[in-house]
Amino acid sequence: MSFFDALKFRLRAITRPDAHARELDEEMDFHLDRDAAQLAHDANGPADANEDEARYAARRRFGNRTYLAEETRRMSGLGWLELLGQDLRFAVRTFRRTPGFTAIAVLTLALGIGANTAIFSAVDALLLRPLPFRDPGRLMSVSLTVPRRGNFPPRDNVNWSWPKFEALRGMQHVFAQTTLWYPEPFTIRHGDQTLRDQGEYTDDGYLTTLGVRPALGRNFTADEATHYNGGHVALISDALWQRLYDADRRVLGQTVLVNGMPYTIVGVTPPGFQGLSGQALLWLPALTSSNPRAEPPGPYDHRFLAIARLADGVSPEQAAAVVATLGARIDAAYPDQNGQGWHWGATTKPLDQARVDPQVRSTLLVLFGAVGLVLLIACANVANLFLARASGRRKEIAVRIALGAGRRRLVEQLLAESVLLGVAGGVVGLGLAWAGARGLASLQLSAALQGNGGAVIGTLGSQAIRLDPWALLFTLVLGVVTGIVFGLVPALQATRPSLTEDLKDDGGPASRRFGGLGSRNVLVAAEIALAVVLLAGAGLVLRSLGRRMGVDLGFDAGHTLTFRVNRAPEWAPDSITRFYDVAIQRLAELPGVTSAGMTDCPPLVQCAGTLINLMDRPAAAPGTEPLAGVHWITPGWTTVERIPLLRGRLLDERDRVGTPMAVLVSQTAARRWWPGQDPIGKVIGQSRTAGGGLDSAYVVGVVGDVRYQGVDSLPGADVYLSYYQVPFYFRMMLFVRTRGDPLALAGPARTTMARWAPGFPVYDVRTMEDRVGQSLAYSRLGALLLGLFAAVALGLAAIGTYGVIAYSVAQRTREIGIRVALGASAGDVAGMVVRRGLALGAIGGGAGLVVALGVTRVLGSLLYEVAPRDPATLAAIIVLLGLVVLLASWIPARRAASVPAVEALKS
Amino acid sequence: MARAPRSPRTELLRGTLDLLILQTLSLRPLHGYGIAQHIARLSNDALSVEQGSLYPALERLQARGWVTSKWLPSPTGRRARYYTITRAGLRQLGEEISALDAVVLAINRVLRRA
Repeated sequence: MSFFDALKFRLRAITRPDAHARELDEEMDFHLDRDAAQLAHDANGPADANEDEARYAARRRFGNRTYLAEETRRMSGLGWLELLGQDLRFAVRTFRRTPGFTAIAVLTLALGIGANTAIFSAVDALLLRPLPFRDPGRLMSVSLTVPRRGNFPPRDNVNWSWPKFEALRGMQHVFAQTTLWYPEPFTIRHGDQTLRDQGEYTDDGYLTTLGVRPALGRNFTADEATHYNGGHVALISDALWQRLYDADRRVLGQTVLVNGMPYTIVGVTPPGFQGLSGQALLWLPALTSSNPRAEPPGPYDHRFLAIARLADGVSPEQAAAVVATLGARIDAAYPDQNGQGWHWGATTKPLDQARVDPQVRSTLLVLFGAVGLVLLIACANVANLFLARASGRRKEIAVRIALGAGRRRLVEQLLAESVLLGVAGGVVGLGLAWAGARGLASLQLSAALQGNGGAVIGTLGSQAIRLDPWALLFTLVLGVVTGIVFGLVPALQATRPSLTEDLKDDGGPASRRFGGLGSRNVLVAAEIALAVVLLAGAGLVLRSLGRRMGVDLGFDAGHTLTFRVNRAPEWAPDSITRFYDVAIQRLAELPGVTSAGMTDCPPLVQCAGTLINLMDRPAAAPGTEPLAGVHWITPGWTTVERIPLLRGRLLDERDRVGTPMAVLVSQTAARRWWPGQDPIGKVIGQSRTAGGGLDSAYVVGVVGDVRYQGVDSLPGADVYLSYYQVPFYFRMMLFVRTRGDPLALAGPARTTMARWAPGFPVYDVRTMEDRVGQSLAYSRLGALLLGLFAAVALGLAAIGTYGVIAYSVAQRTREIGIRVALGASAGDVAGMVVRRGLALGAIGGGAGLVVALGVTRVLGSLLYEVAPRDPATLAAIIVLLGLVVLLASWIPARRAASVPAVEALKS
Repeated sequence: MARAPRSPRTELLRGTLDLLILQTLSLRPLHGYGIAQHIARLSNDALSVEQGSLYPALERLQARGWVTSKWLPSPTGRRARYYTITRAGLRQLGEEISALDAVVLAINRVLRRA
């Protein structure tokens, strides 16, 4: 069998390489001896005098023996392994002889590769890594869709109500399993420990859909999950089990107090599972309530997120088609309540597509691209180092070619050196990558990462960023590829066959050695071009950040402590006013506090808008009614936040139950609704949408605009109403303005609240400045990283420029000496050198600018009030680049200028 | 002596060399030197290549299983490596000859028309 013959042969060549080589040697000896004997015989019989000649003739006929032996060994397939080993050993020896060169090259590469690995770890964790559930490719997210309604844009990620999804569940056949869930913060009490932490309401399909089995105990039963208050049972996470129950297996059957209501623990989830929110410590059946007065969720109570697993053989597209059809039926059963003829629908898409906010995706990809450019620049720099070194090694290489080394072998040998260097750079870069990944993971970006996408799941927080085996593999591959990228051109150039000149070369006329300088110039110009692209991106993003930070949000975030407090279930909705009333009073009396207030819809929190009617004109046509952000506040809240009063009066103690409803409108609202008129005394009412409270309210004042949605969006029309006029339960955020450090008041505020409502902790305690900072965290991160990469790129390009100019000066020492001898002044010489640097800068900078003009569009949402081709930014970059190039070429220029003519000529 | 180790000519002849070796071995087992002599003789030195190029080719043929080798005493008493063509090698030889025939036929046809 030829296959076995071949295998046997190859195996022997691999396992006994020495014997194999010896045999070849013997065979070649045999050949040469026989041939020499034959030649001698052919000439004039066996005569000793001719033996040497014959031997020489045989050798000539045979060819380059060393080379052929090497070629022969290569043929048996794995001889390359042996050769690679040789090459690597040789490379290590070479590098040991030039430690400085090696260190610089390795560090440059480490910088590039490390930064790439760090960003890759984020890309991997947030965009690539499969979701941590069984067969995640078959999981779908299912949502309702709504058409454009007046000022509301259309949405395809609307949450479900329980009855609507029940209808879908009953009609569909494309999903094997479905589940509803929503995240909710819970107050969890066990013994004397109280936690305020994230949990989820779910049903019995949740764990089965995701493919998770309880590590202990059982899942919810269908009865518990699908009947209203079917059972007060709870599943707890492994983390909570460890924390509150010391991982005691007798936890099953025990009760845990959630929001003051006892629940029986029936199961513990496996370690690491924290639900789709990524933070859940505890799960309760969605249809249980800790509030005895609550009612089952109605068909218009859209709080549930739906996940489904595709049935066997059903494609995502098929499922989407079926869900769209059923969506129309559900709309027919539960029509839109506005009576405007708006038709809702339903849609489904792979869960994987909902994993992160699209903005995060694009930012990460921009950063990934940027860091790739940094690596390219690092490669160019190291390639330049190699080119410089190769010209020093010309003689060595020429000798080796003369001794019979094949060009291919030499290129392989040189590539082995550069790949070794690349991998070494990767290994050193892992340190940097590790630090970078830790930094990214610690950034608590979850809020920023999840953006405002309703159906975005939180499973993949920034804490998922780490160096996993994929990142290590990425680094290794990057090291090898990098080595080939920066090593190939120098290797090909160094082995260009031109033996005689190099053998003869004794460091004489430098003219022909300028040949090598051509590719060095091209590399440096390319480096400068890439650096310009990065600088342009970073400059634009930094300017955007500056613009964002300079935006007046419309309120004073300084010296403000904010927090939320959980409502005690024993408080009836109508007595909750009194609870908050006393709380505000007590907080305001604390030493160091100047005022206190609260609002249900604070800045930087997403609140739904409301369609309203302006009573001084006929009702607007459906779809064109004005939209307003409605804020229920304590009368003093606008003062606490220093939102200026522009006209009329603020809300005050007079606005109570029984008096006509008073409303403040924002400047934008006044301008939009009553242009050129006095808004005071105008009447507004809520549009025919459901919900109570706002019948007809009289405008009593106009206050300044506030950017409620954050700096990126313009202020909208907002209205403020007094919470005291409609005593109803709202989820409030409390604001305390302080004289000194607001966080110093966190303790006293907690104590005050704890005394007032023991066991119901204050949570989400942060300064308002912190909240504003958090809303910018995401653009700050983008700007910081892009700025960092651009700085590294500029530094590398400067080093590259310096290197190539300094090298050319060294090469031209003799020429410069002649010039000086012929009367060139130091200024002439320096000018000549600097001009050369500036020419490089101009070519590279020009090319970079052209590329930058083309690609800065990809920055997209990272930009804010800065055009992608902002001339001021680009001009600033040109100036910066000019200065850096000038500096990089001025240092070697000074050295050139100080060359004494005599010495240069003598050398 | 110091010319580029691999000229375009040897590249070109590589496939042909394999063919010649297989053809030679299809007659009887031979050692490397014998193969070289045989090829030189038959081609009247027209196809003379660097004789050493034989060895990479033989190694390649063995790695593919078309040829096997064994150390045997040569007529002079000194041991030599004798190469034998395998069944797969014979098959390969047949295929290469037909392919070559087709090419030669095509070239002939073109030349006759020209």
